[in-house]
Amino acid sequence: MSDAHRFDYVGDEAWRAPITAALKKVVDPEVALSILDVGLVYGVTVSADKVHVLMTMTSAACPVADMIVEEVQMELDQILPVDLSIDVELCWEPAWTPARMSDSARRFMHW
Amino acid sequence: MRAMRQPRQHSKLSQLARPVMIALVAVCLLSGITGGLLRAGVRLPTLDHSAWAAQATGLHAALMICGFLGTVIGIERAVALRAAWAFMAPLASIAGAVSILNSQPMWGAWLFAAACAVFVLVNVKIVSRQTAPHTWLLLLSAVVWLGGNLHFMRHGLDNATLAAWFGFLVLTITAERLEMSRLMRNRPGAQAMLIGVVGMLLAGVLLSLWQPVHGGVLYGAGLFLLALWLGAFDIARHTVRAQALTRYMAICLLSGYAWLAVAGLCWAAYAVGWPCRDAALHALGLGFIVSMVMGHAPVILPAVAGIKLHFDHRFYLPLLVLHGSLLVRLLPGGFDPAWRAMGSGLNALAIVLFAATVVSAAWSWRQRHPAIPRRAPR
Repeated sequence: MSDAHRFDYVGDEAWRAPITAALKKVVDPEVALSILDVGLVYGVTVSADKVHVLMTMTSAACPVADMIVEEVQMELDQILPVDLSIDVELCWEPAWTPARMSDSARRFMHW
Repeated sequence: MRAMRQPRQHSKLSQLARPVMIALVAVCLLSGITGGLLRAGVRLPTLDHSAWAAQATGLHAALMICGFLGTVIGIERAVALRAAWAFMAPLASIAGAVSILNSQPMWGAWLFAAACAVFVLVNVKIVSRQTAPHTWLLLLSAVVWLGGNLHFMRHGLDNATLAAWFGFLVLTITAERLEMSRLMRNRPGAQAMLIGVVGMLLAGVLLSLWQPVHGGVLYGAGLFLLALWLGAFDIARHTVRAQALTRYMAICLLSGYAWLAVAGLCWAAYAVGWPCRDAALHALGLGFIVSMVMGHAPVILPAVAGIKLHFDHRFYLPLLVLHGSLLVRLLPGGFDPAWRAMGSGLNALAIVLFAATVVSAAWSWRQRHPAIPRRAPR
């Protein structure tokens, strides 16, 4: 599965690639993998005035969740026009599972 | 101006509370280190008649485990839960440490117990949010800490208290590593093995209450087997081949696992009468746990304290001093008190060096990222 199809995408197709590239830049430092490769992003919805990102963490006890959310906002801020608001939502259902990892992440972890 | 949903809304009170909390945690750490140096035989004449130094010497472990690490872990979990009430746990544990330094050890013990009780509730909430083996293990670690503090209130700082307090830290780290290990292929039997090892540790804690020899041997064996499990199944085996911060974190983890194995052997040997109590406690507390702290601080500090750090090779220096000084403390120091005192002084130097590294890394980050104006929420 390509990076651009690792999450549900709704909205203007022109934004799919740049948003995917921006999300790819947000990395979990402990594993040196992007949040897309780990499979933390569930969906992106681009509407006329807003970009909504739905994502999760591998653990509900993860103290760096806010920091990762903030980084997602910062990366999207670099590429989106200022009249589009950015809304990153953290959810716990459905729970993250290793099945969401990308092939390259699996290779890195010696699956 | 773009509208963004803010991940954290900081009230003025919480903005004021943060530096106060950081200062109190630092005081707790420094007084705990001072107590440790005095215990190890380092002469600090200016503190000869100091009441707080006497308390810090007698209750060094309480300050380091419940006061410093318990508070840091409590803050970390409260940040993860995003609930203001969860900060009652670290507030109570730091108040407990301050009470001890103020020569009120009974108040300190009560406040530590109160901190644990809230911390257990925080972890119940985490389990209800995500029911998984690692969140259950976090809850178990909190219960072990609570049990240790209830024992501390009745019996003081004996080996059973220490086993429970260290059990809390060891199980917390194990839970976090178990969570990360889900990124690796599930190895047949790995989880069953871990359940067995955790069972041994818990049995060791409980048995230490009335059978110190058998309890100590079981606990030490549990620590040793846990080191083997972590060495075999942790992602650090793979991430050590990465670069920069990821590699540094993996090196901290793997070197910590080696000390955990040493701690297990020494804990069991001490239980059967060998004179290696100092080695057991400090291979575990410094070699394993402080190594984990050094490894995770560059990631956790930005999240819990709002301090962003620029990572580079300077972080390796305190790590090297930590492990080198521990070798001095355990090898020649195991036979000669003068070497032990020197080793403990170098241990303290490693922690001070790490603090200085964090400050310089924070300064470097600010140099590289000139003030970015924050966008106001809509």
